[in-house]
Amino acid sequence: MATMTEWLRDPSPSSRLQARLGQSYLAWLRMRRNPLAMVGLFIILLLLAMAAFAPWLATHDPLTQNLGQRLLPPGTPGHWLGTDDFGRDIWSRIVYGSRITLYIVTLVAVTAPLLGLMIGTVAGYFGGWVDQVLMRITDIFLAFPRLILALALVAVLGPGIENAVLAIALTAWPPYARVARAETLTVRTSDYIAAVRLQGAGSGRIIWGHVMPMCLPSVIIRVTLDMAGVILIAAGLGFLGLGVQPPTPEWGLMISSGRKFLFEQWWVATMPGLAIFIVSLGFNLLGDGLRDVLDPRSSGK
Amino acid sequence: MSMIEIENLSVHYPAKGQLVRAVEGVSLRVGEKDSFGLVGESGSGKSTILRAICGLAPVSAGTIRIGGEPVPTPRGRAFSRRVQMVFQDPYASLHPRHTLDRTLSEPLAIHGIGGSDARVVRALEDVGLPAAFRFRYPHQLSGGQRQRVAIARALMLEPEILLLDEPTSALDASVQAETLNLLNRLRAERGLTFLMVSHDLAVIDHMCDRVLVMQHGRAVEELTREALAGAQMKTDYARTLFEASADRMLGS
Repeated sequence: MATMTEWLRDPSPSSRLQARLGQSYLAWLRMRRNPLAMVGLFIILLLLAMAAFAPWLATHDPLTQNLGQRLLPPGTPGHWLGTDDFGRDIWSRIVYGSRITLYIVTLVAVTAPLLGLMIGTVAGYFGGWVDQVLMRITDIFLAFPRLILALALVAVLGPGIENAVLAIALTAWPPYARVARAETLTVRTSDYIAAVRLQGAGSGRIIWGHVMPMCLPSVIIRVTLDMAGVILIAAGLGFLGLGVQPPTPEWGLMISSGRKFLFEQWWVATMPGLAIFIVSLGFNLLGDGLRDVLDPRSSGK
Repeated sequence: MSMIEIENLSVHYPAKGQLVRAVEGVSLRVGEKDSFGLVGESGSGKSTILRAICGLAPVSAGTIRIGGEPVPTPRGRAFSRRVQMVFQDPYASLHPRHTLDRTLSEPLAIHGIGGSDARVVRALEDVGLPAAFRFRYPHQLSGGQRQRVAIARALMLEPEILLLDEPTSALDASVQAETLNLLNRLRAERGLTFLMVSHDLAVIDHMCDRVLVMQHGRAVEELTREALAGAQMKTDYARTLFEASADRMLGS
């Protein structure tokens, strides 16, 4: 273990891999000093574990209905979070629902920032009419409330989990484009970009290899902070019946089905609500911590 | 034959609604393997001339010829292999998220030159840095070491002409001398042509055979090293500039 950390902290790394891992290790050390970020990371890891080990953690099949045991309160032996209106175990449904949440979050986190990064860096780097056209398109997307736009897209594409993801990704990219463009504008006049241009590099190489790495930290921070919003929109679409379709155990859908008995059987809607709350909180805390670690302005030279 | 020929160069660009006349009708000639200095206070347009040669500032009038041929716009890869530049601030001229290895091998990758491993190690040794520094990031180096990396990067494509934009003004005195000696050594070894900008006549005196004094974007006076050492200036401005740094020049 000691030799491992020594290897990571070696001031003169002997390979690309060691240099990169060493930098990540230092970032990890900085992040470990922030207890809230560690709480966030712990929650996200818990979500990952929950999704991975769902069949072992769930006490019941999430889809099996048992009308004899409907609407049992939390604490009932065998159903410690209670059951819903079809007698399905709420704990098992939340455990399996984490897979769907994670699926949506991952797909959105992979597609939307990439699209935003490309549009933002291209607009910022070239400037002029390219910038005008791309940023006005971005403005058009930003002019609509996200949920409304997602609703419109799902209404066109038809309900379902893939279409929900597509709709969320298409509404989520404009802020990333904005962030990336702002970052690009500060970077593009710098001497290191002038130097690589002087070496004869083409625009593609400069944008991909030299501008994007500088935009990445602020975009990653933004993505983690936005993940809570993505979960909420996915849940909102599910709640409105436009996202995941029943009987799939999706958290928003579960809240929606519990709405009818909110006052008598509060747990049906509250338990998945709590799950959404905790996971959103986890992403927000992690995002705050990542900002301290990745932000080039706070980490110094 | 002249390596760099500049005739009546003017650089005007709009900034905040006003036209800035950064350079007005400056001409100069730098012979092969010569070292030519541009000196003047800040804002005199000396750095702008270098940037105009590289295509980083717009040429409003006049011509720039490298090796007898007018420079193309955009400058293109052939230009990159002849002319390279070392920037003033070594803290700003290296990509903060690239290792030295990446910074130095990038020009090779752009021009499709193979054998980058050996070339990078040799480049580091040429500028007096240990090969163990290869995978460090710029923030793990001192200012002087960074400037050595910047010089190594400029030499990766084996150019004939090196444009030096105040290469030592961001460094402290002892490191300054080391860096200047390194540049002199590399020039002697590789037969480079230098066009060097400085506000410090002492640096110019140490480095250059001829010097052009500039003020407010115009050429004031051209001096040889002998004229500079003998304080034989014709214009008042050049004399004032000389007197400001004379004591340090005698010391060196």
